[in-house]
Parts: sequence; structure tokens; C-alpha cells
Amino acid sequence: MRYDVAVIGAGINGVYTALELLDRGIEKIAIIEKNYPGSGGTFRCATGIRASFTSREHVVLMKRSIEKWKELSNRFGFPFVQGGYVWLLSREEHLRNFKEYVRFHHSLGVPTRIVDPDEIKELVPTIKTDTLVAGVHDPIAGKSNPFTALLNVLEYLKKSGVEVRYPEKAEKIIVENREAKGVLTEKERVEAETILVAAGYGSRDILSTCGVDAPINNLPKHALITEKYREVFKPLLVDWETASYMVQTVSGGFLIGAELEEEYNRPPMNRIEFLYTAVRIWSKYFDWFPSTHIIRYWTGYYVMTPDHHPILGPVKDVESLYVSTGFSGHGFMIAPAASEAVAEWIVRGKPGIREAENLTIDRFKEGRLIHEIAVFG
Amino acid sequence: MVLPDYRIYEHPILDFKRGRRVKFYYRDKVIEAYEGESILAALYAVGYRVFNRSPKLGLPRGAYCMIGKCSSCLSVVDGVPNTRICVEPVREGIHVEPQEGLADIRRARRQENVETIRVETDLLVVGGGPAGLKAALVAAEHGADVVLVNDHFVLGGQLVKQTHKFFGSRDYFGGTRGFRIAEMLSKKIKEYNNIRVYTNGFAYGYFKGGVVGVAVHGEHPLNLLVKAKTVIAAPGAAEKGLDFEGNYLPGVMGAGGAQTLMNQYGVRPGDKAVVIGSGNVGLIIAYQLLQAGVKVEALAEILPRIGGWFVHAAKIRRLGVKILTRHSIVRAIGTERVEKAVLQAYDEHFHPIPGTEKEFGVDLVLISIGLQPDTKFFAQAGAVMKWVPEAGGLVPIRTWGQETSVENLFVAGDASGIEEATTAFIEGEIAALSALLKLGIGGKEVEERRGKLIDFLWNEYRMAPVVRRAREGKLKVTVSEEEMEKIRIGEYT
Repeated sequence: MRYDVAVIGAGINGVYTALELLDRGIEKIAIIEKNYPGSGGTFRCATGIRASFTSREHVVLMKRSIEKWKELSNRFGFPFVQGGYVWLLSREEHLRNFKEYVRFHHSLGVPTRIVDPDEIKELVPTIKTDTLVAGVHDPIAGKSNPFTALLNVLEYLKKSGVEVRYPEKAEKIIVENREAKGVLTEKERVEAETILVAAGYGSRDILSTCGVDAPINNLPKHALITEKYREVFKPLLVDWETASYMVQTVSGGFLIGAELEEEYNRPPMNRIEFLYTAVRIWSKYFDWFPSTHIIRYWTGYYVMTPDHHPILGPVKDVESLYVSTGFSGHGFMIAPAASEAVAEWIVRGKPGIREAENLTIDRFKEGRLIHEIAVFG
Repeated sequence: MVLPDYRIYEHPILDFKRGRRVKFYYRDKVIEAYEGESILAALYAVGYRVFNRSPKLGLPRGAYCMIGKCSSCLSVVDGVPNTRICVEPVREGIHVEPQEGLADIRRARRQENVETIRVETDLLVVGGGPAGLKAALVAAEHGADVVLVNDHFVLGGQLVKQTHKFFGSRDYFGGTRGFRIAEMLSKKIKEYNNIRVYTNGFAYGYFKGGVVGVAVHGEHPLNLLVKAKTVIAAPGAAEKGLDFEGNYLPGVMGAGGAQTLMNQYGVRPGDKAVVIGSGNVGLIIAYQLLQAGVKVEALAEILPRIGGWFVHAAKIRRLGVKILTRHSIVRAIGTERVEKAVLQAYDEHFHPIPGTEKEFGVDLVLISIGLQPDTKFFAQAGAVMKWVPEAGGLVPIRTWGQETSVENLFVAGDASGIEEATTAFIEGEIAALSALLKLGIGGKEVEERRGKLIDFLWNEYRMAPVVRRAREGKLKVTVSEEEMEKIRIGEYT
């Protein structure tokens, strides 16, 4: 069987792009996944969704994404809670920077706002603000459930005839006369008109099999979650001083990420200092935090590009090869918009959102890097 | 108001020597209990059956596993929510509150700063059941420095509730009752001053550098950081649940949970029971229920034949227990607890046959359909795992010497795949001997002993027809040192 599109990777971006393709009338789709759907970054993510970024490309795509999150959560019956984000700032100089970001957000229609410690207390009940000078509130940001957000859509795709092949490792992208012809998996040769690489931390390796050098590096990251509790607060919190985040997920567990020094492309291991760091940071804000029970600690990768922006769209040197990867820690939140853009590109030759055109892989060779002032958490 | 009393005072085998009387508070009531009881056992003994409610629908949650493996009994103890009261000992004056669904963490008592203690050791043993106790003893005999941590406040694992006599060789306690073995081994452990024991100590993670974090609960909580040259983890298993209407009702319990209540704490789990599943556990428990004064209305087995040994089945049949093969439960009925159970006949394709429902007025439905290895510790440590149905589920791949793909981390007992206590002893011993070799203790003598033991386990003990299936399961996850090296350099997924 020859497919219209073969997608490598059943993470949120591979799956959502398949959905967008199906919605555009493409029916013969295969998704090839080496482990199980969601097993890379998607199921390990922080669940947060926001548009308050510091580059035009990110803000425009993420704003579209938030619109799509609303649509998709209604259509597929999974949660999207628009509980906002709150950045906690403990230094005047950070506040100065954020004032500038807020102006930038407003210029693109994202209604962020500087809030004082009393307002933080209203947004985040029980928080202690004595170390804070101010906060920043993004009211349109939110969170979802990565498990149902992926699996509900995947179920629909399967029912609609999309072939989800797993576990099956894609080993090589077959290119003949500078045109992608198919994927050689550990099992067989899978022929397709179009190949999409949405393989997260495995993207660099699989792209290298057809001579495409993607400047991607995998940065180990750490996260933990507590047992479930009744809702205490809705927003995702970012402690700007330590670049740590905390969110009470839609299921009720407190999910925390914190920075540890790590080397690129190393298999991550659980480190006890992560637990100490996370507990130290968040016990300072919440008296009750030491009484929670941490039930899980996991590691994963941020799939980083040099300018911390994703790689989307066609590859100039190889006909019929598309890429959707390098999300640099934001693959989950951007998935609805990125998938829509890539599907449009495949079907109509243009991504729909103009800003996406700046994100092709050729920007690295051509020196058109996108500058982002801040990567959170 | 006088509370009911479910404590057993006369038992054909067990003599319940209860500890000092202690009083604690449940809601606003004063509860009298005995030292050595878990909070849950003490509450169960005076008639409480509902301990929590489901978060969304507010349905009642009762006792299920009784050994800290499930989350059915989460309660608030002295202001700390989500406490598993089945593994929390009663203490004078504590305040226990039921939880109504998810806890309100804002009301939690601020935890004091817990003291952190760092210890170094040759061998850390996680789990004080048959595998862990044996491993600790064998290593200590050879002079290794051992730290033993056990999540329950009593050592012995599930031996403490086994009242039957063990089969097999005297080397592995043939002819002795399980709880006696637990007593003997626990006593022996205390004789070694090169074994440090922490009960009520939950190993919460295995971290880079071979450090294991242990949360020691109780009056003086500790954060114990153990830097061990070798680690043997033997965390045991949990009972499998079964899908049927009303399976959430208090009174639907793991068969092992009921066994803990009646044999460890001397608390009668109910008045009338049906048992689902006719493996040896189901059959033995039916017998023990009778000994504890519970009427067993029926024992159902979905297969056409009884799963366990004929001797056990014959014994309960003689005592009038109906064994219904090709039957299973379809429904438990009740509002706040089980009042009735409906069994139904199944055809050869495991479809229920309409019109064959049989209703039993019972307050207990005991599920005995098997165990699943408790392997969270290995998964978190990053050990390569494999799904093996014959072993009960996901288990770590290991060498013949019981070492996992995480170097110096060994597995033994039910966590390595479900078998029974005798193989747990043997695996614990093999793991200990492997650890000794890594530590450079013992040399040739240890190596020979290990070789003989591996040979005995695989080529003799596990060749018996009744354990063949388990042997086949374990063969699928046991590899040579060379194969393990290949697994270790495999790519990250």
C-alpha cells in the first residue's frame, strides 16, 4: 500500500497533523511510532499553554493555538482550562524586563498585565508573596490533559482509517532523485507521497539518514508530580528567579519542573537534587506544600534548536519531505497551530499563517535565526 | 452507643496476643485499639467500613489491599491527608479523619522540618518479606554491612498472614507455618549488629550515584539517604482487581486483604462471603475464612477446572463450601457496602449465560484472581522492563544472578515475577550472593554456592509441573551477563 502521507512520530504534533490532513481530505495516512503514542515529549510535558512569548512568530502561532485548543477540546471531549499563567518576580530588574515584554504582548493582542503582590494572592490563593516585587498575569493562557488530548484524537484517527503503526521503528527515509519516496522501518518499506518527520528527540537521527542536518540538540529535563488534591489554584506559576514552574494539573496533581545543569544529548537520570530543588522553591511559597506526597518523577528532553523556535514545513533539498520538530520545550502548546500550518503546507503549498514561513529548516543555513528573549521553565 | 466487635478471640491455629491498649480519635469518637494494629484494622474491628469517597461521584471506598499498595483507604492522620491507614500503626492520641474524595491540602498541617540522615552501606535491601529478609541474612552472615528498609511497620511481608504449613525442603522452612517463619527470620535479623533495620520506611526513589531515598514515617520522621554499593529490591506484589458492576463497594476486597485482617490482626472481615478465583490463594482463604468464623457461601471459578491444588479444594468441599466452576461475579449490590453478590455461569467463550444468575446475601466479595508485581521502584530507577503475562505483568529484565539493567540493582521475590515464598527465599539468597561477589566478599565459596543454587532453582525446584508456567515466564526475562551488557547500551526510549 502506498500512503499519501507517512508521519514519523505519534506525539501530539504527528497525531494532530494527521488530523488536520484528514480534515483536508487526505485519507491514506500512516503514523509510524517506535515506542507508543505520546511516549516522547507529549506525555512528559508540563501541560501549560500560553501565547505570552517574546517573538512575533511564537505569539502569532500560539494565539492561533489557543483558539484551536478551545475547538479541539470541545470536539474531542478533553479538558482545556483557561486558568492563566502567573510569573512570580522577585527582582526589580526582572520587573523592568517584563514591562517591556508586556508592551510587546499588547502590540500583538495578548492581554498580559503586571500585578502587585495583593493581586497575586487573589489569583493564587494561599501563596506567600513576601519575597516578591510583582507578578505578570497572562489571563488567556491555560492547560490541558496531554493524555486525553492525544488519545481521544488518536482514537478518532484510527476509526477514520489512519494506520497507527507501533511499536515500529523508522530506520531510514528513502530518497531517490532528491525526492522522498518512503520510510524504511524495522519491518518493511513504507511507500508514501509525502513524508513528515515529527519525531521529537529522534528527529535529528532520522533526518540524518537522508542527509538532512537539523541543528537539534536534546536537553534533559526533570519533572515531578504529587498525588491529586482538591483545586487550590488555576494558573500555571513560573518562579522567574529559578526558572521553575508549578501547575496544578487538570487532574489535581501539582506538577513541577526546575532547572538542573545538564548536558545535551545525554540520557537523563533521576537525580535526588531535583527533588530538593523543587521542594525548596515551592515550600517557600506554600506552607502546605511539604505535606503533599510526590508520586512520580520523570525525565524527558527539550528538543532545542539554536534559536529556540520550532522547525516547520518543507525541506528545500528534498522534495516531499516535511518537518515538524525542534519545539524547544513548547511542542505541546503549539501543536494545534503548528499542525494546521504544516497540513496546509502539505495540501496547499503554503502554511496559512505567514509567520510559519520563517520557521523552515533552511533558516539556519541562510542565517535567518529568530530571536526569542526568554524560554520559560 | 456500643460499637460492634469484630475481633477474633478463639481461633484453631492462631493465638492473638494483643499489645498494650491505646486510644485514638476517629472523627470525634474515641477508639480503643491495641498496639501493633494498623489504624485501618482497628477501625474495621469496631465496624467501620467506609474510609473515603470517590472524588467525582462520592461513592464509598473501603478496605481493599490492606498492605499499602492501593489507595482505597486514604485518610487524614494528624492533619496529613492521603495517609494509607492500612500501613500506619495506631498510636496513643492520634486524630484520624476520613477523607471525602480529594483532600484539601490547604488544611494540611505544616510538616516539621524532617531530619535528613545520610548512611553508607554495602547492601541496601528494600522490602522485608521472604526475599528481602533472606537476602539481608545471607549478606550479613558473610560480614557485609546491611541496611534493611520495610514500608510496613512489621517485618515479614506477606508471611505474617500465612497460617498454612510450607511445603518442600527444610532448608526453606518446609513444614513450618508462614507467620512462624516471619517471626524466626525477624528475630534472627535483630541478632546481627551489621543489619540496620528501618520499618515504616518507604523507599521513594533510586537516584544517580546509587543513592536511595527512604521516607521513614512515624513519630520521628526521617529522610534517610542511603548510598549503597549494592541494592536488592524486593517490594513484592499487589492483588489484581476485577471489573464488574459495583466492584467499588466496601466489602469487595482483595482476598489477601481479608487474610491480613483475620490472620495478622485477628479481625473478622465480615459475616458471609463469596470468593472469586480458585487458585491456591482463593482455596486457602476460603478455608481460613471458615476458621475465622465467616460463612463461605460459594467459591466461583470462571474456568472449567479448579486452579489450585486438589487437597485444598477437597478440604473446603468437605466443610460444605460450594465450588462453582464456569462461574464468576457479575454484580455486587448495596449502597454503602456489599449486601448481595450475583454470580453467573459462563460459557466456554467466557460469555455470561443469561438466566443463570444466582444471588447470595453476603457482605464480603473476595477477589482472588492473581497478583501483579510491584515494580515501580525498578521503572523509576530506569531498569529495562518487559511485559510477561506468565510473570503477572511488567517485570525488570535480569541476569541469572538477579541483577537488573541498572548496575548493582538486584530484584528478588514477587517483584521479579509472581511465584511463591519458597522461590522468593531462593531468589533473595541468589541476589545476596551476587551482591557479595560484586562487593568482593566471599570469593570462590560464594560463587560455588550461587552456582549450585541457580542450578537447583531452575533445574529442580521450578521443574515441578505446578510451577512450570512461572518458570517459562521468568525464562523470558532472564539473560546472560553478555546479553545484559547489550541491553545496557541500548538506546534511550
